[in-house]
Amino acid sequence: MEKQQIIDACDPVNRRLLLEGEQFLIREAELLDRGQYGDWIGLLAADIRYQIPIRITRERHAASPFSDQAWHMNENMGSIAMRVERTFSDYNWAEDPPSRTRHFLTNFRLSEAVDRGGEQEIVVRSNLLLFRSRFDSPAYELVSGEREDTLRRTSDGWRLAKRIVWLDHTTMGISSLGIFL
Amino acid sequence: MHNDTAATPKYSRAISLLKEMRESLKEGIIPVGIFNDRELYEMEIEKIFTRKWIFVGHESEIPSPGDYVLRYIGEDPFIVNRDESGEIRVMLDACVHRGVRVCRAEKGNASHFRCPYHGFIYKNNGDLIGMPAQQHAYNGLNKKEWGLLEARCDTLHGLIFACLDNDTPPLEEYLADSKYYLDLLFGLQDEGLEVIGEPQRWIVKANWKVAAENFSGDAYHLIFLHHSAYEVGSTPFSMLGNMNGEQILAGNGHCVDISLDKTPQPVDMPYWNFPQEIVDTFRLDRLDPKGLEIVRDSKEMLGNIFPNSSFLLMTVTPEKDLPPVPFISMRQWRPKGPDEIEIWNWFLMFKNTPQSFKEASYRAGSTTFSLSGIFEMDDSMTWETITQTAGNRFARENLKLNFQMGMNGMGKAKRDEEWPLPGIAYYPRYGEGNQRYFYESYVQTMLGED
Ligand code: FES
Ligand SMILES: [Fe+2]
Repeated sequence: MEKQQIIDACDPVNRRLLLEGEQFLIREAELLDRGQYGDWIGLLAADIRYQIPIRITRERHAASPFSDQAWHMNENMGSIAMRVERTFSDYNWAEDPPSRTRHFLTNFRLSEAVDRGGEQEIVVRSNLLLFRSRFDSPAYELVSGEREDTLRRTSDGWRLAKRIVWLDHTTMGISSLGIFL
Repeated sequence: MHNDTAATPKYSRAISLLKEMRESLKEGIIPVGIFNDRELYEMEIEKIFTRKWIFVGHESEIPSPGDYVLRYIGEDPFIVNRDESGEIRVMLDACVHRGVRVCRAEKGNASHFRCPYHGFIYKNNGDLIGMPAQQHAYNGLNKKEWGLLEARCDTLHGLIFACLDNDTPPLEEYLADSKYYLDLLFGLQDEGLEVIGEPQRWIVKANWKVAAENFSGDAYHLIFLHHSAYEVGSTPFSMLGNMNGEQILAGNGHCVDISLDKTPQPVDMPYWNFPQEIVDTFRLDRLDPKGLEIVRDSKEMLGNIFPNSSFLLMTVTPEKDLPPVPFISMRQWRPKGPDEIEIWNWFLMFKNTPQSFKEASYRAGSTTFSLSGIFEMDDSMTWETITQTAGNRFARENLKLNFQMGMNGMGKAKRDEEWPLPGIAYYPRYGEGNQRYFYESYVQTMLGED
């Protein structure tokens, strides 16, 4: 289930962490929107978990509207690498020509800042609106959700260690997901 | 009893299109216009979706009394639940007072369904049991006559099918020769199967027949459309090498498609690469020799239960360095207009398997056949453009599609006279006989000749 906590980022140390996280995510989104997946993979930690759990229409009192067993995507480095390799295949019919995407990221908040055995990790939550348009159609698709991103500080800068996208959709109004949210 | 269509003027244009199709199908030709036509669609809802058995879910989704899920048959929403006595029911999600929907969520547990408008209350077996200020408002009402509308339902190995027509034969008879193959797969383990998590739902702007036809037996498209999945190592089998196999007309429009070499030869991954300890739980002793050969030697197995319920077993890997894992998917291609389907995708696994295996199987399935599936994303793209083509004026009136593979010496598929199992089999998979059979059954059903 989604994290709820927000750390007060008025404190200068936290403010700096949040800003670093924000800058990282904005850069990362740029690589995605430019289709520079090779560079993008370089921003992922080797033990990356990338998850989009399925959301279900549930009553208010239900424990969670998100499935804990069903996913639109549940990836690690191996499967992400396979998807990226497929993206550059000559037979990528679904995404060549590539769909045009724009990640709109807002409402950045610092949710956690911890030291894990000498490695600093922060959890940044943000709102995501993804615009996608495909082929020569003026139609477009929107995907909305909350990102819960765990970033890890390495000697090489921040890396994305975990992403969960908490969708606002139950039935998805898009015909395929050959991109990354 | 259903051959009143000729006298129904409202479908006159659709009927002439169907009659044209009935003739051209003999030559293996189908007018593209059937894939995006409002009148045909309305006729399909009436002649097909309100008459045939449709897959709506699996028993394991509603294990306890009161458990419910919300499902669809054609356009209409139905509550699929287990009532207090443990019986599975399929009930129209609509209040008998004004038609307000009484089920608010996609799943849950409820002893009663309360209508939000005036407060009619239904027990979870559909009985109307009361309403606010009953003595003043509805004191004379015979509540027994005003329960939720109920559909017929029946199960096979826990797969729940529902049907809106009392004249349609019982499920087992309806499934005809496809039942053998469903028994073979879904009956392998005494404990049965369970759905992992919840079904995925997404919208594809495509006609439902395109999807049903694909799962009926379009083995040919694997070679080209899905080449990228082979390139990146997701499937262990070369798509060209995968073309030996039987395509089976399984009665009442049902189709089965099995990748299997005619002469048994050692396969790299027997039993679909299920680990030995899981194979040990399979009731192989119950199988006839050919059935055992399918389970041991076939590489994939899929099919479509007419009209829009499909199944698929494949062995794939979500990452290069992992051994391929089998997954089992059930589908409902829910029609939402002539140019739109809502895909329902369930992943199932045998109950008596380790949790870690279920998760690995789910991951294999969802990486390949799902909204984000590296196979499926290419399928949906082509299905959408077929539907667009069919909606365009010039194409609609001039484009005749070639479904001739396997006819008149074209394509290697030949009737497999020795096929010992139910259904009429063709070998190898270079044929479009299954698809033609799907469409022949479609035309017959639409014209009331089934
Ligand atoms: S519409 Fe349901 S109680 Fe009136
Ligand atoms: Fe396909």
